[in-house]
Amino acid sequence: MREIQLPLSQTQKVRLQKALETLESLSRKVNSDASVIVADSIHVNHEDGVLKGHGTADLNGEVVATLCGVVERVNKLVYVRALRAKYKPEVGDIVIGRVVEVAQKRWRLYINYNQDAVLMLSSMNMPDGVQRRRTALDELNMRRIFEEKDVVCAEVRGFQYDGLHLQARSRKYGKLNRGQLLTVPPYLVKRQKQHFHHLEEFGIDLILGCNGFVWVGEHVEAKDDMIEDEVSQSDHQVLLPNKNSVSLEEQEKNYTILETRKYICRAANAVRVLSTLGFNITLEIIKGIIDLSLSMNIDIHDMLGSEFGVLVAEKEAERRSSNKKKR
Amino acid sequence: MEYSSDGRIKRGNHAAKMYIIIIIKCLKTLAFTGMVGLSLGERHFIQGGIAQDLRSDGRKRLTYRPLSVETGVIPQVNGSARVRIGATDVIASVKAELGKPSLLQPDKGKVSLYMDCSSTADPAFEGRGGEELAAELSNALQNCLLGGKSGAGAGIDLSSLIVVEGKICWNLYIDGLVVSSDGNLLDALGAAIKAALSNTGIPRVQVAAGTLNDEHPEVDVCDDEFLQFDTSGVPVIVTLTKVGRHYIVDATSEEESQMSSAVSISFNRQGHICGITKRGGVGLDPSILLDMISVAKHVSEQVLNKLDSEIASAEAEEES
Amino acid sequence: MAGKSGATPATYSPSLTTSDKKKKPPLFNEDWVRPDGRAFQQCRPAFFRTGAVNAASGSAYAEFGNTKVIVSVFGPRESKKAMMYSDIGRLNCNVSFTTFATPVRGQGSDHKEYSAMLHKALEGAIILETFPKTTVDVFALVLESSGSELPVIISCASLALADAGIMMYDLVASVSVSCFSKNLVIDPISEEENNQDGSLMITCMPSRYEITQLTVTGEWSTPKINEGMQLCLDACGKLAKIMRSCLKEAASDSQE
Repeated sequence: MREIQLPLSQTQKVRLQKALETLESLSRKVNSDASVIVADSIHVNHEDGVLKGHGTADLNGEVVATLCGVVERVNKLVYVRALRAKYKPEVGDIVIGRVVEVAQKRWRLYINYNQDAVLMLSSMNMPDGVQRRRTALDELNMRRIFEEKDVVCAEVRGFQYDGLHLQARSRKYGKLNRGQLLTVPPYLVKRQKQHFHHLEEFGIDLILGCNGFVWVGEHVEAKDDMIEDEVSQSDHQVLLPNKNSVSLEEQEKNYTILETRKYICRAANAVRVLSTLGFNITLEIIKGIIDLSLSMNIDIHDMLGSEFGVLVAEKEAERRSSNKKKR
Repeated sequence: MEYSSDGRIKRGNHAAKMYIIIIIKCLKTLAFTGMVGLSLGERHFIQGGIAQDLRSDGRKRLTYRPLSVETGVIPQVNGSARVRIGATDVIASVKAELGKPSLLQPDKGKVSLYMDCSSTADPAFEGRGGEELAAELSNALQNCLLGGKSGAGAGIDLSSLIVVEGKICWNLYIDGLVVSSDGNLLDALGAAIKAALSNTGIPRVQVAAGTLNDEHPEVDVCDDEFLQFDTSGVPVIVTLTKVGRHYIVDATSEEESQMSSAVSISFNRQGHICGITKRGGVGLDPSILLDMISVAKHVSEQVLNKLDSEIASAEAEEES
Repeated sequence: MAGKSGATPATYSPSLTTSDKKKKPPLFNEDWVRPDGRAFQQCRPAFFRTGAVNAASGSAYAEFGNTKVIVSVFGPRESKKAMMYSDIGRLNCNVSFTTFATPVRGQGSDHKEYSAMLHKALEGAIILETFPKTTVDVFALVLESSGSELPVIISCASLALADAGIMMYDLVASVSVSCFSKNLVIDPISEEENNQDGSLMITCMPSRYEITQLTVTGEWSTPKINEGMQLCLDACGKLAKIMRSCLKEAASDSQE
């Protein structure tokens, strides 16, 4: 494993090693022949008319790899899939981004990819809910919707000539407030059916962005458009700590309640532990970790300690081996 | 020359000169948010957490992240240490070289600070990018660790570094390297410097007979005998960051972006203050400042104990 | 960091060239032995590890005897606005020395040209067309320098690039040779470098047998250059094997 950043005592190291070995033996055995390094030549049957895909190059008729990874073959296509890949956007991915620029009729978002993604004004639902052509006034009021540094949830619409385009047409997309944003390696978040999770028993929202950004926050109901307008206006005012019009007391009334905050912190720490250990991040596993920490009465901050880390690894090894036995 | 058991030279007829030069290379700003900034909603959440005594990672306001110390990480220098507080990772190294004491203080050390920022870490630090941060950190460290003009409060006995008064002394170069930054760099660097100093061994020096009164006395440096520093007097830095109405200790870079002001105070074992630096433009009511000092003093005792025990176990591990 | 080598370092030494070559003793010293006891054609043990810096896209740590280098790669990231549109990617290299790297403090700032040389060595191997409009940053930090830093930096940088998933034609390996009147000494340490009569540094892509950079200083006769090149190319081939085994190990570790 890439060095796991936890200060472990000797016994903890032994236990962690054991758990990781169990997991390794359970994982899908990738044929070691298939893994290649840069400039390894890839064995192909030349008569087949092979298509050279991503991560390959032609050298004197030989197919060589240009990446370190695993060779995948799909019919006639041969390509190299990198193991600890950078995020590669696909149409329909749920991503979370941060606004870096408000430009003409669009916002630019940073999404942990080579380039910044573009969210067009026309790909957003207007606050008043009406489907109409965007006017110049809308353009001037873009900052009312999203400002720089805002955290926005959107869906990948596709690649256009000027970059990656996103869209946020549904109620569940949009600005994220009242929570915290975490960054994890993108390859730990696999594409699944559902990326928006509402943990009812805790009252929190969990959004797993495919680009490695994970949002944990207070649960927000997708409100009706008309009401949303008024509420968001007042929300906006209270949430501006720097404007003189709002006093400290008013802000304080609006803080997330302690109970919910505790669960938010637990969930966030659960994601952090998974990221440190290099395990896949799914709702099931996160729930398991939260329950584990609650049942063992572990202090929220101690979830980031070495002891809990080793426990999580052991529990995960148990869970996967019991899953395998069920099959 | 007589060496006492705690390493300080008994006879006072040798002058010392010490250069402490702190070079801080900032290697990496970890959190993405540290680079770009946080949204209003996130900031509100952090402020709420601090107000309710439950920070984003579950800590209380006055709780430190886990601290770990490793000594002897750089073999080619006289002493070194690596300190990790959460995701903040710093290295300090101490190098001793013979030199000439200053004319103004032939029996005392002279201190100067030098900062450098490397681009290996945050790409934003390439070229002149990291110089501002480096200068700020070096000034703060200088204030907090190096004491007054006479050397009082520095915790390092400068006169113990003299070889021949007015002619030869030891120059100590202390370099700091920031490997990863997630807030609270000052505290981490202060701890690393303290640990590196306790790891430092100054070679024993013999003055060649008969050359003592020469302009340039000859000295013989013994390679195998070392004099360990007594670092019980070296202060530790505690930074209190004020967010809203409350103060927190050991802020992450996200929390630091919220601060209205931050006060870094260094305390020594006796509970005396050895230096104070205030950062941030927002004004502070004097009573709040005094309150912060007393809170910091209370925290510093725990930090000193923790740091001392970590240093001791690190040295023990290094020897084994 | 320093001193934490897990795997046994592998040595690589080129085979002697087939031409009739007797090792002549150096003219300035009878029975001259290299300060660290190596043979003239013997290189230092090479140790590599990838993934040294968690926060970078890719990173690698290399230790050749007492020369220790850490390289981190960031990107591809969006180019700054000031850059004009380009249909190939940009490579940005920077080499810096820590103040405690050299025995004499602060000597590292002499080597400002290393950044440009690293750039020249790497740009031939990276497929820049795969990341247009973006920039890849390569930052090298020398933790301890005791001879032939630049070859170590280049080899380590190409490992870091492979670790970051940047598409390359081939790994880049680099070796340098010092010339002492009639003798060629491979992988010199700083003592040898300071007294050398000439040096030859080759950066090559071993699988393709292509040289991406060649730097020669001093007075060389043509046969000597040939000999030097052959030595270096041979050593590069062996060094590349060590680099590949390091990458393979890292790859097999992360099969999850």
